[in-house]
Amino acid sequence: MKHYLDLISISAKHHKAQTRMTRFCIVLAVFLVTVIFGMADMEMRSQLVQAVRTDGSWHAGFLVNEEQEALIGARPEVKQTARYESLNYRLKDHYQIEGEETVICGFDREFLDMYPDVDIVEGTFPQSEDEAVVNENIINRLELEIGEMISLKTPQGAQIDLRITGITKNTALMAEHDAFGIFLSMDGFFALNPESTEADQEAVCFVIFRPYCNIQKAIGEISSQLGLGEEQVRQNAKVLMLLFQSRDTYLMRFYFVAGVLAVLVVAAGVFMIAASMNSNIARRTEFFGMMRCLGAVRKQIVRFVRREALSWCKTAVPAGLLAGTVVVWLLCKMLRFLSPGLFEGLPVFGISYIGLAAGTVVGVITVLLAARSPAKQAAGVSPLAAVSGNARTVQAAKRAADTRFFKVDAALGIHHAMGSRRNFFLVTGSFAFSIILFLSFSTAVDFMHHAITPLRPSAPDIYAYSEDTSNKIPSRLVDELKNYPGVKRVFGRSYGELSAFAGEKEITLTVLSYDEQQFSWAEKSLIEGSLSEVISGKGLLLVYRSGSLLKMGSSVTLLPQTGRQQVSVSGVLSDVPYNYGTSKNTGIEEEMVICSEEMFEKLTGEQDYAVLDMQLQPDAGDAQVQQLRRAVEQACGREISFSDKRIGNREAKGAGYSMAVFLYGFLVVIAMIGFFNIMNCIAMSVSARMREYGAMRAVGMEVRQLARMIWGETLTYTVCGTVFGCAVGLPLNRAFFRSLVTSRWGDAWTLPGWEFLVIVAVMSVSVCLAAAGPVRRIRQMTVVETIGR
Amino acid sequence: MEILKAENLSKTYGTGEARVEALKDVSFSMARGEFAAVVGASGSGKSTLLNCIGGLDTADSGRVFLNGKDIFDMGEDERTIFRRQSIGFVFQSFHLIPELNVEQNIIFPILLDYKKPDKDRVEEILEVLGLENRRRHLPGQLSGGQQQRVAIGRAMITRPILVLADEPTGNLDSQSSRDVMDLLCKAARHYQQTVLMITHNMNLTQSADRVFQVVDGRLGELGGGR
Repeated sequence: MKHYLDLISISAKHHKAQTRMTRFCIVLAVFLVTVIFGMADMEMRSQLVQAVRTDGSWHAGFLVNEEQEALIGARPEVKQTARYESLNYRLKDHYQIEGEETVICGFDREFLDMYPDVDIVEGTFPQSEDEAVVNENIINRLELEIGEMISLKTPQGAQIDLRITGITKNTALMAEHDAFGIFLSMDGFFALNPESTEADQEAVCFVIFRPYCNIQKAIGEISSQLGLGEEQVRQNAKVLMLLFQSRDTYLMRFYFVAGVLAVLVVAAGVFMIAASMNSNIARRTEFFGMMRCLGAVRKQIVRFVRREALSWCKTAVPAGLLAGTVVVWLLCKMLRFLSPGLFEGLPVFGISYIGLAAGTVVGVITVLLAARSPAKQAAGVSPLAAVSGNARTVQAAKRAADTRFFKVDAALGIHHAMGSRRNFFLVTGSFAFSIILFLSFSTAVDFMHHAITPLRPSAPDIYAYSEDTSNKIPSRLVDELKNYPGVKRVFGRSYGELSAFAGEKEITLTVLSYDEQQFSWAEKSLIEGSLSEVISGKGLLLVYRSGSLLKMGSSVTLLPQTGRQQVSVSGVLSDVPYNYGTSKNTGIEEEMVICSEEMFEKLTGEQDYAVLDMQLQPDAGDAQVQQLRRAVEQACGREISFSDKRIGNREAKGAGYSMAVFLYGFLVVIAMIGFFNIMNCIAMSVSARMREYGAMRAVGMEVRQLARMIWGETLTYTVCGTVFGCAVGLPLNRAFFRSLVTSRWGDAWTLPGWEFLVIVAVMSVSVCLAAAGPVRRIRQMTVVETIGR
Repeated sequence: MEILKAENLSKTYGTGEARVEALKDVSFSMARGEFAAVVGASGSGKSTLLNCIGGLDTADSGRVFLNGKDIFDMGEDERTIFRRQSIGFVFQSFHLIPELNVEQNIIFPILLDYKKPDKDRVEEILEVLGLENRRRHLPGQLSGGQQQRVAIGRAMITRPILVLADEPTGNLDSQSSRDVMDLLCKAARHYQQTVLMITHNMNLTQSADRVFQVVDGRLGELGGGR
């Protein structure tokens, strides 16, 4: 021993049990913060993988000519550029191959790097103007091979012969529209247009900026330098959001919510460590008094306490970081297991530097800050008090327990909890934080349920629809198709646009029909009223839209050709799982209502469908889809379009999985914070008061009375923590809900019942376990042992 | 009248080379109102004897009768209740409950029985202890001597038949020590309580009716202190 501070390591060896709780607490806090930030990081990465797959890795796109593209490419903050342009994207411009509408995309080779999903599975990228890559639809349906020729007919009537150099998979969009698609080089694309002007030579120049540059600033500079209008600039919103580079108002609100939650998580960790440090140092004041007695000055005591706290960090922080990282690995493994195709980009043993940094900061900084005040307190212990045995192992009370309203055991328990304002604040604060975090984060689950549409039970795998929304699909097909192999469910919707009077104002209503199955799914989105009237054909279901003229109970006078009819709105849905109705004439969003099939027939005289949704069994493959397609075409002819949503659904499902794993994982971790916090606080409080309990037992306190006292203390923390947690958590829950859900889908905020029950259940179980453990330990000890502690 | 009777008490700690025989076949008895002091070197077994007699610890063999009842025959809870009603404890480091004020600390054993304390009795004790003006003070606001007086008050409030004091003056100055000794004597003489006190200080044995000495776990009687 060369220095007085060497006593720290010597003392640590002999008093491992004394400091075990504090070290465990640091490990736990660091672990939780590492896991939460690590999970958030991994979720961002997986969402980025998703976003890049679906939307590409480009950051911004500028509609510019070749010269301007060169200027953009020369900017120092630009890492990569690629031109892209398309024709016939809506399949209405009559670029056709063998009579089939064909999407034509022209792009530079670099574009393939930006869109990993646009992959040439066989062959090579076109080198000359008369070469093309074609999609699987063309290969399969026209039975062609690489090297063969295809003839593209332009709207102007020209026939352009192209040699196939490669094959690409159907993209989600091509599969959805069952479309032919070809990829050309940029030169080949421009060569298609016979009436070439400079404006026609414009293409979207997609740009990837270098890491850490201010993308919004760069976009602004490029736009002003090249004189580009808003309509000439587009941004990859999802990717920019995930890179924290978006300025979209909704996303800014999202960042704000995420920021608040991050602060809350850090605060929970800080509270946890501070509470344990406080009680650890407080119970060793006698030891510090002894050091003072032996000649240590106050400064030395403060240094001793700080150095000791740091020595705990030496092992506890790495342990927490390691445990947190392992959990993050497990999470990545789980995501890869759930959706191997989608998450293969996620590293198995990925290191989240954000998680590690957050964990380390919370561990070390908090420990140092938390040690400050106990260190001063320790330094202030009178040497005389220490040697005379009068130093308090627990902080001296400032006021007496109130034995008027409670029995002495319960009163002492409550007083133990509330006696020290600082300790009470720290412990109830950390309990409350668990509740606040849980209630705050639970709104993200509501957000997820609204945002991820294809995860809904009603999402179809394939659907047939009439492009002009006329009801041409025979309703009998529902029963027919149900019996096809691989089919799980078939259901249809009729579509109509009706004039109506809402009060005195004439409006156009989009009217949809639902069958029983669709009504049962709609029940989850019902925000007002009931479905029974609508199902029985007496009322309408309104689809929520902000600024709607109609509301619950509104009376609507419908003016169908069959005659004027008065109906009332008997329910409101927050949303429907398909695009909102827009007027065919004005393109403006219309009021949308839903009614029963009987009522629809009564109003329009039509009973066939405009859309037919089909859900498939998991094992159904392309052959089954082709069979269904033929059946629909046989019944309706070629006027009906066919859409395959399986790829899109899979992508969205993957995004949904990762979000669900992340969110529910988050909630579990928060519940764990609460659980361990209560266990730890009570265990520390009991062990700090062991001598006092021993004295009480010596003068006649029974173990059951002692248990009641510990229960009193535990319940005081829990009840106060719950009240405080709810007082802050519920308004936060409401604010986040309004910001993330109500503003978009109109759902009114309701008390978060199940979330509240879950967290209270977790708290209750923790309280039972927290109180039971120490009581059992005390029961097993003799009074002499208890005093001797 | 015989109040306390210990028969062949033996207690051993540890095993092998660390084995220590703290009590070896200890037997003695005390009558009502008797004040006895136990002296002995540090580690001789004095505190073990006191803990066994008070039912805080159990002996390996032997029996302790208090008012005719064998305390080792009782279950844990029964012994605890018997202890708080029949035995008063005074410890060297007071062991007051820091969250209770002077009055609450004194009536604590009665509160543990969920009974209301007799006000006159509380006033009498406070007066005897000289703490009437300090009844609302917390232990942290009292001197060591005052705290020990509170501990004696707590030991006397239930009118126990036996008061056990373990080095009650060990942490006190001479004036406070005298006060404490006066109070313990009063307990024995005035309230007819049997008092067994452990001490290092031979001077304090002068107030005792009998003086025992413990040497290596064996108890011997030195005679009357007075």
